[in-house]
Amino acid sequence: MAAAPISGLLAASPLVAAGPAGVPIAQDGLGFYGLILWLPAISMVLCGVCAALRVKSKLPAWITVGCLGASFGLTVGLYRAYESPVIIPLLQWLNIQSGQLTLVADFRFYVDSLTLLWMLFVTGIGTLIALYASEYMETDVGKGYSRFFAGISVFLFAMIALVAADNLLMLYLGWEGVGFASYWLIGYYYRKPSAVAAAKKAFIVNRIGDLGLLLGIYLIWHNFGTVQYAALFEQINAGGYPDETGGWSIKAIPYLLMLGAFGKSAQIPLYVWLPDAMEGPTPVSALIHAATMVTAGVYLLCRMLPVMGLHDLALPTVAWIGGLTALLSATIALAQYDIKRIFAYSTISQLGYMFMGVGMLASAAGAYHVFTHAFFKAVLFLTAGAVMHGFAGQVDLRKISGLLKMPGWRITGLTMLYACACLAGVPLLTSGFFSKDAIMAEAFVAEAGHGYRWLGIIGIVTAFLTAYYAFRVWFRVCAGEPHFEPGEEHHDASGRPRGEFHPHPPRLAVNLVLVLITVGAVWSIFLKRWAADMVADSTAGAVREAPAHAAGFWADPHLWMPWVAGTVGLVGIAVAWYFHLADRKAAERLKNALLANPVARLLPLALQNKWYVDEVYHATIRFPLWILGHILNLFDRYVVDLSLVDGIAKIPRALGRGFQPLHNGILHSYAISMAGGATLVAVLVFLLPQLVEFLGGLLGGQG
Amino acid sequence: MVWLWLGSLLLVPLVGVAAVCVFPARRAKWIALFASTATFAHSIIVAVAFEHWHDGGFGFGAAIPTLQLPKFGIQFEMGVDSVSLLLTLLTTLLMPLCIWGSFSAIKDRVKEYYGWMLAIEAAMIGVFIARDLIFFYVCFEFTLVPMYFLIAVWGSDNRARACTKFFLFTFTGSLIALAGLLYVAWQYQSAYEQWSFAIGELTAFSATHLSGSEQAWVLLALLAGFAVKVPLFPLHTWLPLAHTEAPTAGSVVLAGVLLKLGTYGLYRFVLPMVPEAVIAYAPAIGVISIIGILYAALICWVQDDIKRLVAYSSVSHLGFCVLGLFSLNPLGLQGSVIYMLNHGLSTGALFFLVGMIYERYHTRDMSKLSGLSARMPVWAFFMVFFVLSSVGLPGLNGFIGEFLCLLGAFTASADNATHPGLLGPWYAAVAALGMIFAAMYLLIMVGKVVFGPLVEPVVKAKEHGERLPADLTWREIGVLTPLAVLCLAIGMQPHPLTHAAQGSIDAVLATYPERVRHHLALSGQLAAGSAVDEPEDLGGSGVGGGGDGGRVDG
Repeated sequence: MAAAPISGLLAASPLVAAGPAGVPIAQDGLGFYGLILWLPAISMVLCGVCAALRVKSKLPAWITVGCLGASFGLTVGLYRAYESPVIIPLLQWLNIQSGQLTLVADFRFYVDSLTLLWMLFVTGIGTLIALYASEYMETDVGKGYSRFFAGISVFLFAMIALVAADNLLMLYLGWEGVGFASYWLIGYYYRKPSAVAAAKKAFIVNRIGDLGLLLGIYLIWHNFGTVQYAALFEQINAGGYPDETGGWSIKAIPYLLMLGAFGKSAQIPLYVWLPDAMEGPTPVSALIHAATMVTAGVYLLCRMLPVMGLHDLALPTVAWIGGLTALLSATIALAQYDIKRIFAYSTISQLGYMFMGVGMLASAAGAYHVFTHAFFKAVLFLTAGAVMHGFAGQVDLRKISGLLKMPGWRITGLTMLYACACLAGVPLLTSGFFSKDAIMAEAFVAEAGHGYRWLGIIGIVTAFLTAYYAFRVWFRVCAGEPHFEPGEEHHDASGRPRGEFHPHPPRLAVNLVLVLITVGAVWSIFLKRWAADMVADSTAGAVREAPAHAAGFWADPHLWMPWVAGTVGLVGIAVAWYFHLADRKAAERLKNALLANPVARLLPLALQNKWYVDEVYHATIRFPLWILGHILNLFDRYVVDLSLVDGIAKIPRALGRGFQPLHNGILHSYAISMAGGATLVAVLVFLLPQLVEFLGGLLGGQG
Repeated sequence: MVWLWLGSLLLVPLVGVAAVCVFPARRAKWIALFASTATFAHSIIVAVAFEHWHDGGFGFGAAIPTLQLPKFGIQFEMGVDSVSLLLTLLTTLLMPLCIWGSFSAIKDRVKEYYGWMLAIEAAMIGVFIARDLIFFYVCFEFTLVPMYFLIAVWGSDNRARACTKFFLFTFTGSLIALAGLLYVAWQYQSAYEQWSFAIGELTAFSATHLSGSEQAWVLLALLAGFAVKVPLFPLHTWLPLAHTEAPTAGSVVLAGVLLKLGTYGLYRFVLPMVPEAVIAYAPAIGVISIIGILYAALICWVQDDIKRLVAYSSVSHLGFCVLGLFSLNPLGLQGSVIYMLNHGLSTGALFFLVGMIYERYHTRDMSKLSGLSARMPVWAFFMVFFVLSSVGLPGLNGFIGEFLCLLGAFTASADNATHPGLLGPWYAAVAALGMIFAAMYLLIMVGKVVFGPLVEPVVKAKEHGERLPADLTWREIGVLTPLAVLCLAIGMQPHPLTHAAQGSIDAVLATYPERVRHHLALSGQLAAGSAVDEPEDLGGSGVGGGGDGGRVDG
């Protein structure tokens, strides 16, 4: 278990040491690329105008697609012009100077290869999904259409701010901004109570993570006196930070940042919001809750990798949380029937792999998995969306079958097949195979320590489960004999079907986007080296090289892991084939057999009910706080207000009653009391200094 | 005639009061709108002509010529520095909006209503521009009278109890504060053989000449006045009541400006006047603010009355503001000053929005309202916008204030090299839970009222006279838009504000680093003369205090 301190390891890495010290600030020429950020903002404003004018056409969609496409084009331009890390100033934001104290957090791009990697796929996939949504959301033209695309634009604005920021505060702006966009879009169907609740839950659970990030930023400022990456990394690499004297306030930083990452990327213990987020329209699930936003946590850890080394056990914690999340959510995915939720749990699970990779310092493998996952998971959600769109919101995998054999659904079925294969890690043909294995192999690298070997085994088990549940969906929905029941949207308010139902297969925009992203998924197979270089050249470049002594076959996990994982994946697919295509009743029989046994029945019940985590959270956190709120409310009303405040207010009245006999209307008694009063005042005036001194003595200890 | 620069900020609303009284009732609202808008325009001119935006000095210093009592040193002197001018601008901006926003809600006794509105504007401006203690106190107290009548005459059902409580509570508090201030003036007189009520002189005198225990008593006296106004836990109970019963514009004035009189008092009097006592009591006040933040936030969570919820959220939010003040470093004070402006804008707007609902449905009960965005999309847009501002979404104004207040408290530990303080990471960490709670109670409210299936109570048209259209009118949009624009502008471009406030803040904090170091050295938390110190010290001061805060709450 005794691994070398990671901070030492990072400092030893030449890539980090060469790091961003003295990153130049671009003078002219590059400011133009600020449009990458401003175009989505412009698009948001224009969509807002469309909403205000009640535009009844697809104009908002074309505005958004145009702006995002231009943003993507500019990002590609920036990538091609990129030579070395550079800072592009955009706008002054928070800027406080008082004496020696300087807090500067402006809108500035920190362009390095890590930023570019994320920006490329965020703007690229963002554009394609906006195009897809132009058709998917068409039933809402003139109703929520503008609102939807304004939300997508806000999301892109915030996401670009997040990944392109040059300081932690602008990152935090993006971080909360994407959370807000997510709130906006999950709650898109705002009349549905479940959607509203899901949106609220997403925002609040994310806020808990955000609090961690915020406190982490505070601690960074507290210890290093800056929130800007370049200056921060310079200090850390120079090793001049007050490591010994800072004590806990330094060591806590990585854990707080981690909490932020767990919130945004839906890891234990903050993953509970993501499955519920599927209440949003499917393009949103594809864009925000699968491909881009949820990878922000991975980005944060990659970006802050030098900071994560401030405590030895921080990154191993990340790796273990990632591994356990991967396993936990894969088990839950086994027993769900809602296609979107299955994909949501698989997203959590794949994010777990990414954290595992970053945690084991295989940040290149982790980031590569982010990249490949963005494509194939987007395809999975978009095909699920196409099915929902065509079958009136049907998401139950038991109620649709044989999609491939229905007219017009071939592209959907085949692209879903390829994406499922990627998720399952089918050897050689799929991007998921290359990216996932790179992470798992890292766990078996000899000197890994921290029980990473077990983590690798967890990874392999999860890979089996993943292959099974992915193909469970595909065999059920796409293979077999054609059969379907329309979803709820086909019924009116009273539950009666609205006439004859005909599934309507996807048209041009949807099919085009499906094909394009699938091509991207294939293409990403060949980008492993490229992605690894992009990460290695950045601050996240703590790539551990394959061990030099990897002479024999068994000594180098990178050689045998693909075969093991590939085999496991194929076995998973075979099992899914048996239960869900060859003999579809078998799964039901197995479940019933388990349910019949009083002990064994706990397993399917627990899986189906998501291990009761939501219920436990409710009982241990939300409910007690809510009760406390009620208690305090009563306390405020009856103790603080009635007894304390009104009670004190009664004292003067009581005193007044005491003096009442004096006001008896008899002249000489007034004279007496007047004289008495005057004497009292005189005595008070003369004695006041002494009195004050006396009272001062009482408080003397404090003064 | 220099005095007219600031003097006319008082005169214009007062002339407006006279005009409202003279002209017939149907003209009253237009006169009031004109007078308050003219005041706003004039305040803009003052702001443009102001020369001390960056150095923290006072501008336009002058005394009102006829109101002089030289024998007693009473001069009715005026003058503004950047912070008081910012708060004046907030006041002059909010007042025309309040008056414009009342056009449909106020149907009876209109002359009195608009008269009182203008009177309270003059009083509030007077508080911010006063450089003379008596002048300050007269204005400070006079704000109570119009507010009393606004609640008592145009309030809702329980208004009698609300306005009495409001009046007695704040009046008692400010009398005690007056006693404290008079004590300082008296000491000044005994030291220099002449009276002076100039705030600047008294402040300098008090900070340097009063002993620690005297300062402690003055601090307690001032707190009695200002903490009630803020309000700090446990002196807050008048606020939910007053807010719930006040008419909409009354609530806006109350939340937008009157509460700021408390924090402004802390900023202008408490911090510079009694630094030794502030240092001694900063941890205690910090803990009280944190209790207030969390306590009020949890109470917000279980409210059914939207207005009461927003009122309690004010208690919670202003806890951040006070926490920032007592962090005693430039970040915290910056945060606090911005928070004062922000809270005026966002909470003011939230009260407007609740009022618009009340005008239409005559209820504020969340259980009777649901899914209003289906009926009122424009209203829903503004509601969500200001809730987000209040929640502290970065990019909007609330975040800047909250971030800086918490950062100030966080870095206010003994080992801070430039500005050592007496709070620390634990204070900020516990207070920051308030951010999560804020998201919870506000989003739950939005989830119930704005979203979900449409539920609206039936309103009988005859009972309540003419009915407003379902969604907002142009007038109402006009009231909310300037606030929304400012929220966005402050959120995206806070640096003009922070630059402006910096000079004033540096002046307030001038002697603090030295005093705090001295205090820490005396109490053994810091070896004298060493700015960078051992880790135990940090743990000692921060952990202990924060732990207290947590325990009391739990």
